[in-house]
Amino acid sequence: MSLIELQDVSKIYRLGSQEIPALTGVSLTFEAGEFAVLAGPSGSGKTTALNLIGCLDHPTSGHVIVNGLDLGTASKKALADFRLQNIGFIFQSYNLIPVLTAAENAEFTLMLQKVPKPERRAKVRKLFVDLGIDGLENRRPADLSGGQQQRVAIARAMAADPHVILADEPTANLDSHTAEELLELMRRLNREQATTFIFSSHDDRVIAQARRVIHLQDGCLADDLTISK
Amino acid sequence: MLFTLAFRNLWRNRRRTLLTLSAMVASAALLILALGVFSGMFRDMLASATEQYYGHLVLAKTEYHERRDMFAHLDEEVASRYITAEDTEIIGISPRLRSFGLISLAETSQPVELLGVIPEREKQVTSLQTKLIAGNYPSEAVNNGALIGQGLARKLKVSTGDEMVFVTQAADGSIGNDLLIITGIFATGDSRHDNNLVLAPLGWAQKIMVLPGRIHEVAMTLADPMLAALTADRLNPRLPDDVEILDWGDLLPEMREVIAAYDVSRMIIVSILYMATGLGILNTFFMSVMERTREFGILMAQGMRPWTIRGLVLLETCLLGGIALAIGLTCGAVMTLYMQQVGIDLAGYITPVTYAGGTILPRLHAVFEAGNFYVPAGMLLLVSLIAGFLPANRAARLDPVQAVREV
Ligand SMILES: Nc1ncnc2c1ncn2[C@@H]1O[C@H](COP(=O)(O)OP(=O)(O)O)[C@@H](O)[C@H]1O
Ligand SMILES: [Mg+2]
Repeated sequence: MSLIELQDVSKIYRLGSQEIPALTGVSLTFEAGEFAVLAGPSGSGKTTALNLIGCLDHPTSGHVIVNGLDLGTASKKALADFRLQNIGFIFQSYNLIPVLTAAENAEFTLMLQKVPKPERRAKVRKLFVDLGIDGLENRRPADLSGGQQQRVAIARAMAADPHVILADEPTANLDSHTAEELLELMRRLNREQATTFIFSSHDDRVIAQARRVIHLQDGCLADDLTISK
Repeated sequence: MLFTLAFRNLWRNRRRTLLTLSAMVASAALLILALGVFSGMFRDMLASATEQYYGHLVLAKTEYHERRDMFAHLDEEVASRYITAEDTEIIGISPRLRSFGLISLAETSQPVELLGVIPEREKQVTSLQTKLIAGNYPSEAVNNGALIGQGLARKLKVSTGDEMVFVTQAADGSIGNDLLIITGIFATGDSRHDNNLVLAPLGWAQKIMVLPGRIHEVAMTLADPMLAALTADRLNPRLPDDVEILDWGDLLPEMREVIAAYDVSRMIIVSILYMATGLGILNTFFMSVMERTREFGILMAQGMRPWTIRGLVLLETCLLGGIALAIGLTCGAVMTLYMQQVGIDLAGYITPVTYAGGTILPRLHAVFEAGNFYVPAGMLLLVSLIAGFLPANRAARLDPVQAVREV
């Protein structure tokens, strides 16, 4: 069984009477431990695809099966609970809650999972060391650089031990050097801890780092390449 | 952590939160003060009737209650038979003999109501001793010393030390008359008492009415006047059939209604004032929720349930309500305390008003009453909750996909 299965998935947004097809007939599978990128120009449907994989949204047609479950008609609450246990989200920027410290942000999903405080603390402390952001625990997001913020977002996503981490253009707001470092970090986590990453990008240098490149074009699957390295 | 998050969220827009907070504090505090002053006014009204004349409870023959029949008299020890030391809520008991008659001096005479009392006992029930403007309260020492009102003194053109004649019908059918010496003059502000009422020693009254050892009524004072009806209900079964205790509400039905209506008007006043406060809270939290759309989207993406989001916003409004309450109650209590201790004298601007059988004194003076605190307090929390509910719902219903797209 694959970790994630998209079966003939379409998503149509409605803006008044206008219908905007964001994704059309996409079928894809992802296995645990993958390091895959959704590539494509702006507007090609990358965010939409990630939102569907992450059970943040329902497809207009087709099925999204994550970890063996099709949440096609599930309630908002059931979706939230599923995301909490299975999915880690990282967005392009401003991922963090500004009034919480870096450590509190990272602990947040664990808090929602009702993990006891000492356990939460210990786990986050270890993650911060792993991600090279130890010492920044008590800073507020506003006092962190873009790269540091993204690392805290990764820590938050990883803290809950999800099956997959979805990152929507995680490096788009970073300078190229920092972007490379962040990507390097994600690769290392993927290799060493077998964390499954699916991220999106329209930056060729970032795309080149992935082991599998899925090209989207106008909401359709254009290409699906697995690069053996 | 949700609590921490809610608390910190409150202070993100410090100025806006402080403005809303101050509106809440001001409305709660001023409301508490206003209600305290209202209560003070009603207390004055009730006190004017009970502490100047009736007492809180009156025991008499039913016939006497109904018709003031001078022959419906009781033994002067009657109270001790039915009321014991265990009735601790009763803090004053005064036996009285009442006589309607004329007071004359030279060629002027005035109709008066004379109460024969035991001065030391009467002082426990009424407080005319605190309203003296001349002379002294009658004492056992002078067996025909009388206390009269200012209005009467003016009409008769008498002052303390003057003698006057009281004429009335006696129980044996004769006309009783005797000399009284004015020992003191009182002024209550209530013209009925100031023009009519005369207090004289019980023994003197019994002698002139030829009713030795007899009285018409026993007036009683309670520690808490609001418990009068309950106490009367408790005591009445002990009494013989032809004797009855009436509470001030029976004696002054209008006053009872006015005071009962106050509980309702208090709710209305509180509701109206808080409506405005509620709109302020609503506005603040709507703005705060709108500004945080993306943040709610991120929280939802992490797996926060819609109900938890709703709870977070409600927690924020309730926290604000709680803070406002703590400060508002304190300010309200301090202002009420000031108005209780010092008050504002309006005697220079308005005269006393008689209303519903009592007198509203020309002063602003507050009293502490539990309801004046918990009604505004409870309502403020309720308003915070209601005003928080709409924005909370709005946040909980956000579509995470759209919310996250917002920058
Ligand atoms: N909420 C929405 N309402 C209407 N159209 C949308 C919405 N979200 C995305 N779209 C449209 O769907 C298409 C795909 O968008 P998106 O998935 O965001 O692409 P990408 O992430 O690759 O830039 C675009 O044409 C976009 O305008
Ligand atoms: Mg996008």
